Amino acid sequence: MEELDLLKKAWQKDSHKFEQVSENEIYKMLHTKSSSIVKWILIISIIEVLFWTLISVLWNTDDYIRKMHAENTIVYFKAMNFINYVVILFFIYVFYKNYIKISTTASTKQLMHDILKTRKTVQYYVWYNLGMAVVSLIAGFVIQFLFNPKMELLKDKIAHEDNYHTLCITLGVIILTFVVIFGLFWLFYRLLYGILLRKLNTNYKELKKIDL
Amino acid sequence: MSDNLEQLFVKQLKENQNIIHKICRLYTNDEDAHKDLFQEVTIQLWKAFPKFRGESKFSTWAYRVALNTAITLYRKSTRTVATTSYEGQKHFLSQEEYNFEEEEQIKLMYQAVQQLNDIEKALVFLYLEDKDYTEISETLGISEVNARVKMNRIKGKLKKILNP
Repeated sequence: MEELDLLKKAWQKDSHKFEQVSENEIYKMLHTKSSSIVKWILIISIIEVLFWTLISVLWNTDDYIRKMHAENTIVYFKAMNFINYVVILFFIYVFYKNYIKISTTASTKQLMHDILKTRKTVQYYVWYNLGMAVVSLIAGFVIQFLFNPKMELLKDKIAHEDNYHTLCITLGVIILTFVVIFGLFWLFYRLLYGILLRKLNTNYKELKKIDL
Repeated sequence: MSDNLEQLFVKQLKENQNIIHKICRLYTNDEDAHKDLFQEVTIQLWKAFPKFRGESKFSTWAYRVALNTAITLYRKSTRTVATTSYEGQKHFLSQEEYNFEEEEQIKLMYQAVQQLNDIEKALVFLYLEDKDYTEISETLGISEVNARVKMNRIKGKLKKILNP
């Protein structure tokens, strides 16, 4: 292509002059903060991990269980807590391993792959925590149902009703609670990462398309 | 990091800054964005510098980091719109070889290149830098055959932009 070769010739002669940056200016730049996508992912990830870890640690189930007189379920919650700590440690290890693998000297495709992988690790951790939240909520409902004396009335009503009206409403309320919680998180993550990773995802798709 | 390393880096970067300017020019559409991207590239280069062992030339090493920063790490959108005002200030040909017709042709071509997407621009950039397809494919992480195929498609696309 003639025009492209014309541009190539001019390009290589370096006659396309640029305002030169001085050594002083370069020194100054070295001490400014990066605003790269990797840095943002790191910051958001740390906030996410802190948030979920705090929630799972501070979520005091013991008082609740005692109040419900459901002491024999404590052992299950202790086991769940233990699993939680193992998962947090494992997650931090995997995240760190993926994070330090990100290198700007890798090929463009590899770099994009590594960034997305690091972010996926956090995503899995968030899904795990949401899953745990659901399990806890279900356990909470079950304990309420089995141990809360106020529930007797509801149980009685469900047992003696022919048209399952109360049962449907109860289940409906439970399902709606889950849908709303999940919906809100989904929306939040779509927005947050959608904005942050839009460019990267587009370019990664474009690059992968070349090799199809 | 030691002062010596910093000095060495600053010196090398100053000598090779045109390579970064070229990438910034290709991926941004105003002076502020150009400066912003230049700064981010400088930071990324500096971060990666301790691992630079001098196996390749500084420039060869630098354009990979610079391209990766522009395409992947830089948060702001780098999609450019062809603008004559920003481009108009610069000349591609030096005064001695100035030829109005040729200069116009080069400018139009450059504006066409700016309408390509980020990945296509990277391929064109490496092509303009006279890199062979082995190097292009290694830099971007695609196969050599497909790099060739894509480059041919880009040439077709550029032709269409120039002669709609």
